[in-house]
Amino acid sequence: MNTVLNILTRAFFILILSTFTKCQIETDWAKKGHTNNWAVLVDTSRFWFNYRHVANVLSIYRSVKRLGIPDSQIILMIADDMPCNPRNPRPATVFNNANQHINVYGDDVEVDYRGYEVTVENFVRLLTGRLPPGTPRSKQLLTDEGSNILIYLTGHGGDGFLKFQDSEEITSQEMADALEQMWQKQRYNEIFFMLDTCQAASMYERFYSPNILAVGSSLVGEDSLSHHVDPAVGVYIIDRYTYYALAFLENVDADSKKTMAEFLKVCPKRDCISTVGVRKDLFRRNPKDVPITDFFGSVRPVELIEDVPIEPITLSMNVSLKQIPKKYRYIPPIVNFDQFIK
Amino acid sequence: MESTMHYALIFFVFILLKLCVTQEDIFTEELLIKPLNTDTVYSHFHFTIKWETPDSDFSSHSKVFPRILGELIERFNVLELHISLTNGLWRYEKWGYPVVNAGPGGEIWSWFKENTISIDKNWKELTSVLSGLLCASFNFIDETNTISPEFSFRPQGVFDGSQSVNSSYLKYASLPREIVCTENLTPWKKLLPCNAKTGLGSLLNSGYIHNTKYHSLGLHLRRICSDKLCTKTYLELQQTVSLVYDSKTLGARNWSLMKFFGQGVLNSCELANSSTIYIDITSNSSNPFRLTYKPDGFITSIRGGSVREFVKYDVVKNGGAFSVGVDYLTKPEIAITSPSLIYAHQYLSGYGKENGGLVVKITNNHWSHLDVVLLQNIPWYLQLYLHTLKITVSGKELKPIKLKFIPGKLRTRYHQLEILVRIPAKSIARVSVNFDYTFLKWQEYPPDANHGFYIPSAIISCHLPLARDFTGLPQDGTMIRDSFNASRSGYLVQIRTETLIVTLPTPDFSMPYNVICLACTVVALAFGPLHNITTKRFILKVKDNQNIIDKVKRILKLSFKKSGDK
Repeated sequence: MNTVLNILTRAFFILILSTFTKCQIETDWAKKGHTNNWAVLVDTSRFWFNYRHVANVLSIYRSVKRLGIPDSQIILMIADDMPCNPRNPRPATVFNNANQHINVYGDDVEVDYRGYEVTVENFVRLLTGRLPPGTPRSKQLLTDEGSNILIYLTGHGGDGFLKFQDSEEITSQEMADALEQMWQKQRYNEIFFMLDTCQAASMYERFYSPNILAVGSSLVGEDSLSHHVDPAVGVYIIDRYTYYALAFLENVDADSKKTMAEFLKVCPKRDCISTVGVRKDLFRRNPKDVPITDFFGSVRPVELIEDVPIEPITLSMNVSLKQIPKKYRYIPPIVNFDQFIK
Repeated sequence: MESTMHYALIFFVFILLKLCVTQEDIFTEELLIKPLNTDTVYSHFHFTIKWETPDSDFSSHSKVFPRILGELIERFNVLELHISLTNGLWRYEKWGYPVVNAGPGGEIWSWFKENTISIDKNWKELTSVLSGLLCASFNFIDETNTISPEFSFRPQGVFDGSQSVNSSYLKYASLPREIVCTENLTPWKKLLPCNAKTGLGSLLNSGYIHNTKYHSLGLHLRRICSDKLCTKTYLELQQTVSLVYDSKTLGARNWSLMKFFGQGVLNSCELANSSTIYIDITSNSSNPFRLTYKPDGFITSIRGGSVREFVKYDVVKNGGAFSVGVDYLTKPEIAITSPSLIYAHQYLSGYGKENGGLVVKITNNHWSHLDVVLLQNIPWYLQLYLHTLKITVSGKELKPIKLKFIPGKLRTRYHQLEILVRIPAKSIARVSVNFDYTFLKWQEYPPDANHGFYIPSAIISCHLPLARDFTGLPQDGTMIRDSFNASRSGYLVQIRTETLIVTLPTPDFSMPYNVICLACTVVALAFGPLHNITTKRFILKVKDNQNIIDKVKRILKLSFKKSGDK
């Protein structure tokens, strides 16, 4: 009797356990705290000599796309055309390395804001969601309270500002206010804010909204430096911080166990020459516990539904093909001149 | 038994009918390769989808037609839509005429249906949707740079017989500065049924497309007749890519698909009803070459007085991977090619930062006169003087048959000039007009104001009587195949001229800062003395000649006095 009871209890336990694990698998994504991933990648510099900024932003674009964020959830802003620039000796490519290991532009790229569209106004409108009616989906940041957003900015900066297109600038206060507005509108769950500019730390100093982890390539008073020149292109082709960040990200894949803490250590002073600044106080989690894929990868909520009857789609051709016969004609391809000649 | 047979037959016929009916999407892909002269080779990809849908409400299922375009034209009530994104200039004089004409940069025009309520609103929304769809800056199109030309554009597709053409339903805009790169090609390729994975689309690798002399992406939506009597219509989508390769940059004269696109045709697109490569071998007589791959057929096309020879390759029939190409047998001979029947150039005249002029030169090489429509779309920052408009042919003034000018308005409307003119045989017509450069407000300058401002290309439409160097499709044709032996009463070409850059008077943008500094200095210098003069009085003060000891004595005396008072 006792053994029977024992077996029964065990069976019961196994049953409970199995249902429990089943539940766990199905709702695993829901427990992670964020439900979707977005990336806003901005290059703010125009002109050929700023080639490196385009290479920077495309490096990050390549990484996030490789790690699973779809193009529809990446907003890529590029202020000038480098790949098809007449000065580019290798058209339709942007390399991050003089050895041309990685074409960061790739064969499958979608730029959402380009050229003159990259302005402070458009950037702030994009973040805060205050876009004019009729804006296409690809130009909207359709995030919600479950979105983890990676914001990456590169360009020329100074103490408390970042230049856009060499003609206007966004100040650190404006940036902080835009993020606060996003928080109030429940447009994000967490933000990882990355900057590769001179005096980058000055941009995130004024942030006051929660759940933001910020990293900048240099402290206030420091310059961010570029990595190396490609003699064929004739200009510097990538900045130090992004170069090492990309080198790190190239070794990350979608199932990687690497954490944000490891990423924050990228590019120590001997590599970067500038000091990489980090701001963690607004961030509620310990970066050591945050997988890097929380920002660079993508959650793919998959819900398995069983026992759904699948009915074959029947096309109601007869209905859709009902064309009312009308008399159509081709118009002469050019206007009749004789009607004007008296 | 017989009745069963009967039923079976009926059933079979029914199935056949059903098959005919469900065959609603027809997708064909074609590639035309034509050596233009000794140095350049033109390759034109032509993907066509024909979809039988009713005039309105075609939210029904489509097999290969891109759903997004179907939704778009329904939502915005579009009758016809033409988009092109081009880099480089088609050299009409030397290269003849392309299958599809396109001006440098981005160009878009659309006909809306007659029952459209607000065309301006639909146009604005359509362009902004297209900017998202094709990653292009079409969202910069608004009412200021849109025109509705009356004579230059006609609907290319079918038109409801009872209605007449009204150009107010047409919207045309061009963005001469638009760059074209992989980011435009990627979404364009995604509209193809086989998504550039298989078939001819797989040849379109960005690295090999953007190193050409000229490349142009096109998207053309219209309605065509689906039966002989033209009582029903198809919705037709033509997706085109035109490329001009330069043998100098490729390194050798001999060319092949391998050299052009980095790969041959690997497989065929399963969704395509036909998949064909045509090579124009007419130039074989002057510059003999050998085909590297055995063709599946020869075609002789006699069209509008010109005879052209083609070879044909059927991709499906050839099955697996193959590459076509030619090896030249002799050293290059510089063939004297006679220039095209009609071509045009545009350039700037005038001098200084104030007065400028615009000249369009149209050359007629035909033995008879040609009727042309010239359309110029000139930005508002150039102030045009219509009284300076002059059309001359070898010094003599030529009167236009018709002239339509809608003057531009500062910051609200472009100038729109349409001239119908008859150019005499074997002559060059010179159309010139003068303008003034305008000062812009300092916030209207783009970030790279010193680069200059663009004038879109002029469009010269002409119905050519001969089809020499003409490769375009007839109006009722949808495929390149339809252009063989397609003699018609005329052949429409719409020549695009060069776009121009003007340098407007550009201020020194540090000027406000300088002005503020200078003005403040001047004000400070002026204010100080004036303030002193007006608020202070000059009083004569007696200078005392006391020595130091006397002074000390006085101070001591005063202080003693004070302490004594206490």
